[in-house]
Amino acid sequence: MANKKDRQRFERTMLVHHGAAYNLALWLLRDPAEAEDIVQTAYMKAFEHFSSFCGGNAAGWMLTIVRNTAYNALQKAKRNSNLISFDEALHGGDGSCQNSFNTMNPEDTLSAMESGAQIMAAIERLPVEYREVFFLREIEGFSYKEIAEATQVPQGTVMSRLSRARVQLQKILVEQSKRKKANAL
Amino acid sequence: MPCEEMQQKIEAYLDGELTLSDQRDMEEHLAQCNRCSAVLHNLRALSASVKKVGTVTAPISLRRKIKSGLREMTGEGADAFNWRHLLGVGVGSAVFASFCVWFFMTFTALSPLQPQPTEELIAAHVRSMMVSHLTDVASSDKHTVKPWFNGKLDFSPSVLDLQEHGYQLVGGRLDYLQKQPVAALVYKHRAHIINVFIRRADSAATAKPAGYTHQQGYNLIRWRKDGLDYALVSDLNEKELRQMAVLLESQLAPK
Repeated sequence: MANKKDRQRFERTMLVHHGAAYNLALWLLRDPAEAEDIVQTAYMKAFEHFSSFCGGNAAGWMLTIVRNTAYNALQKAKRNSNLISFDEALHGGDGSCQNSFNTMNPEDTLSAMESGAQIMAAIERLPVEYREVFFLREIEGFSYKEIAEATQVPQGTVMSRLSRARVQLQKILVEQSKRKKANAL
Repeated sequence: MPCEEMQQKIEAYLDGELTLSDQRDMEEHLAQCNRCSAVLHNLRALSASVKKVGTVTAPISLRRKIKSGLREMTGEGADAFNWRHLLGVGVGSAVFASFCVWFFMTFTALSPLQPQPTEELIAAHVRSMMVSHLTDVASSDKHTVKPWFNGKLDFSPSVLDLQEHGYQLVGGRLDYLQKQPVAALVYKHRAHIINVFIRRADSAATAKPAGYTHQQGYNLIRWRKDGLDYALVSDLNEKELRQMAVLLESQLAPK
């Protein structure tokens, strides 16, 4: 059984990441109370398996556990309708992402960025697989390789999911802002 | 290099994943291609906005909850630690915690002033977790828990199985509230303990139970049915506790 010294060492290494852990859980589960529970559970699990952490990227190690715990919860609650319905081919396309960026002029996108609530609402509409790579890249600044390790998918998949997340997000934001403008008229 | 080929690499450039020489090529291309510059500009704007609004501060209580959970795992006495912090004194914590329990019980027994039932319910809930005395009869089987109360109370509490709704029966316990024996049923939902206190409705107390209350970080839901007073106490969030109350109330068979 772990002792006080183990706990202190664990806390020194991992507790500083609890904010990131909470935000990741919140991005994935979209419910503050549940996110809090998942982070607690993940920390207990992480402490149990702390001996398997051999130094290195502590945030990556911790967030991987948070991510897996959150996925388990999603699966258990059967709320993962977008997990089940998720289909790379359907949601993805064939790498024509860049063309989609072109169709938007900067003013459109920028005016779409007005409100934080709108951006978060748009993020919530992304499939959970996109949300997690997007979070790890944009918020945590993980490299493609680190994201691939945390999400257990090949690096190519990380890149395509990230790209699709960006395209979809821009589309949603532009749509939202257009709708807003139309309503204002 | 053709524009199409560069476009494929813009995101990798944005994410700092290009090799140095590719990076240089990209910068050269961006300097003379408005189209690609606009794409990059859009991506940067998106990235900046998401960074700005994409995170919230974790609840202050989360850090404390994690730490106390870890202490429980090492057997360092999480609750005693909290009490010590709460009172701001460094007295030998286990001794002090038991003193608190003793003092509280003596005080309530002797005092002519009855403490507020809300506070008493919370105290009973906290006590149940503090002294490692959550249950007298530990079982997830309602047919084990219900008969255990026979002869200990002058009523027979309904014990419901709410497993399919995610509320797992942990066991039962005999408790005393306002000098009256009460049945305490213990449920667990995720990491949260829920105490369901059941007692005979006091005929002197004409006031109906208060419904929902939030105090000291705990949520309470109370109601009266068929001559019994029910109280749910937990640190579980209000929404789910209400859901549990509705489940219990709707499934309680009339006596």
